[in-house]
Amino acid sequence: MSHTGVMPMTPVRSRSFHRFYDINGWCFVLGSLTLVMLFMIYPIINSLWLSLHSGKGVIVQFVGFGNITRLMHDPVFITALTNTLIFLIVQVPLMILLSLATASCLNSPNVKFRSLFRMAIFLPCVTSLVAYSILFKSMFGYDGIVNSALMTIGLIEHPIAWLTDPFWAKVTIILAITWRWTGYNMIFYLAAMQNIDKSIYEAAKLEGVTPVQTFFNITVPLLKPVILFTSVMSTIGTLQLFDEAMNITNGGPANSTLTLSMYIYNLSFKFVPNFGYAATVSYVIVFFAAALALVQFKFVQDKK
Amino acid sequence: MSFEKNNLVRNLTLGVVVATCSMSALAKKNELTVWAWDPNFNIAIMEQAKATYQKAHPDVTIKVVDFAKADLEQKMHTMLASGMTKSLPDIVLVEDYNAPKFLSSYPGAFSAMDGKVDYTKFAPYKVELMTMNGKTYGMPFDSGVTGMYYRKDLLAQAGFKPEDMQNITWDRFIEIGKVVKAKTGKAMLGNDPNDPGLVRVMMQSAGSWYFDEKGALNIKNNEALKEALRIEKSMTDAGIVRPTMGWSEWVGAVNHGDVATITTGVWITASVKAGADQAGKWAVAPTPRLNIKGGTNQSNLGGSSWYVISTSDNSDQAIEFLNSTFGKDSAFYQQILTDRGAVGSYLPARTGTAYQQPDAFFGGQAIYSDFANWLGKVPKVNYGYYTYEADAALAAQLPAYFQGMPLEQVLEQIDSQLAAQIQ
Repeated sequence: MSHTGVMPMTPVRSRSFHRFYDINGWCFVLGSLTLVMLFMIYPIINSLWLSLHSGKGVIVQFVGFGNITRLMHDPVFITALTNTLIFLIVQVPLMILLSLATASCLNSPNVKFRSLFRMAIFLPCVTSLVAYSILFKSMFGYDGIVNSALMTIGLIEHPIAWLTDPFWAKVTIILAITWRWTGYNMIFYLAAMQNIDKSIYEAAKLEGVTPVQTFFNITVPLLKPVILFTSVMSTIGTLQLFDEAMNITNGGPANSTLTLSMYIYNLSFKFVPNFGYAATVSYVIVFFAAALALVQFKFVQDKK
Repeated sequence: MSFEKNNLVRNLTLGVVVATCSMSALAKKNELTVWAWDPNFNIAIMEQAKATYQKAHPDVTIKVVDFAKADLEQKMHTMLASGMTKSLPDIVLVEDYNAPKFLSSYPGAFSAMDGKVDYTKFAPYKVELMTMNGKTYGMPFDSGVTGMYYRKDLLAQAGFKPEDMQNITWDRFIEIGKVVKAKTGKAMLGNDPNDPGLVRVMMQSAGSWYFDEKGALNIKNNEALKEALRIEKSMTDAGIVRPTMGWSEWVGAVNHGDVATITTGVWITASVKAGADQAGKWAVAPTPRLNIKGGTNQSNLGGSSWYVISTSDNSDQAIEFLNSTFGKDSAFYQQILTDRGAVGSYLPARTGTAYQQPDAFFGGQAIYSDFANWLGKVPKVNYGYYTYEADAALAAQLPAYFQGMPLEQVLEQIDSQLAAQIQ
């Protein structure tokens, strides 16, 4: 009311107008907020509280950090953690490289039947996890197709014990996961590549840069945000690996393909049920997911 | 909204609510739900019990639902732990190795049947494992008394007569297996490297278990376990084992004629008979024994019992149903024996005619009288709560052992892993 000189650019909004906006806004959000609180926030807090307890079935007592101490001395947990990390370290870089390579190949305009290839590589992602695991289990069995094919070609003399040997069981799982998720990541890269200006590639060609150098020095740096996204997603997905390990090898010969999620399942449903301890193991997964995501973000930031 | 619309909406909602309430109330009476696994065996037998009971009680509906065993256990744990009693069945099948675990983890979830069922008529080892704090909780069902099923024709091809297969030791079994492999090209048995079921059979045949009578860990100085592991290694080294993964491969090896024997509980009879083209070629001999003090030719693998959920509305009716069929009906036991090969734990049933009948599939051998005979001699052991943990610990070390790790070290590893699992 006591303005002197120039009038303000925007009209002054009355307080009741703001209140109307606020209340309406909150009312609209309240529905989904309630659902998120009920089905996400409440279980997360409840399982944190549960992880401080230990016991048999419904008979639990408070143990504080007892579960964490137990974790450190539990040989099965250490095996599960090691296996999960091995899968992570071997499979994620391998798959990302493969996806990048296939995306790069399929991006070139000279390839015939591009859409057919794209569909064929992407199709594994839409299959049911259990269905394809069971198929892989029969394919990689001792008398399965893979062994027969390899022996017919002459690559191997005796059938490989894909599922009953600790080392080959891990290889089978890695092959299965790679087959399934390569197409998924490839689509992300393909989409991102459409945003790269074609003139950059032309300039590179003119300067005589080889295709491999183009790939590593131009394509990859320009795709950095997408690569970061897919690698974080793949890390989180591999940390939670369950379906393949359960259905193809069931924890594998001698716990060689036992993953953290499978250990949680065993602790809850196969062994004497100790839900508190299982909750603690699940928080280990959360911790690693957060830590690795942070590391990957930092890795990208530093380059800038 | 207009007045009429408001009224209409309100009346509709009211109508729907009343309808659902009455429907849910009606659905509960006189309807029993039973959860079990194995359609060839447990489910089929429960269906027969249902048919028998419904002749006398036509107003009762019994719904038998088939699950995979692991799925059923997972659902039970989830529901019992969360307290969601509405979706629980009235009757559930629980494997005997799991019974102490369920009873102690979820106290009060299962109905005690002490006053209503006459437990003196059942095999003592079955009643003992379902008793906690003086109360007994289940209806004992099938016994997993073991036998060695073998292909007479393949053994004959290798030069062995049925007399050569009676009351043998495992070492002799391995020798026979090598000859069978050499002369017929077939493996002597199928075995899952992840599943130490055969080790359990061998242990119990010598009256031993992962845990002693008091429930303490019994791994490092367990003679039966050491001998069982040595036998398993010798079998693998001799090349007489066909590696199988999972139930269908294991049974498939039998049905497709890839293996000459299968040594496991009597509940495998229905699955062996599923290979109809092998009729007349099979016979059953006593389980091979361990060559140590206390080794016998009888053992047990698996076996399960029916339990009633105490929070169900129909628990009394469920107990009555189980009692009148599994608890008293000797004729019913004869019928399930003839049709499914179910050797029950109901002792008076064993004098019945069906147990003496010769079975054409087994070349006229009266296999059930043999099994009933062995049932009485199965060594009693205390399974304890942690059988699955012990199995997992054992399975984790088996490949290393087969590749040459010394036995003492293997047992040391199993012991330390188990000690960490059992808190």
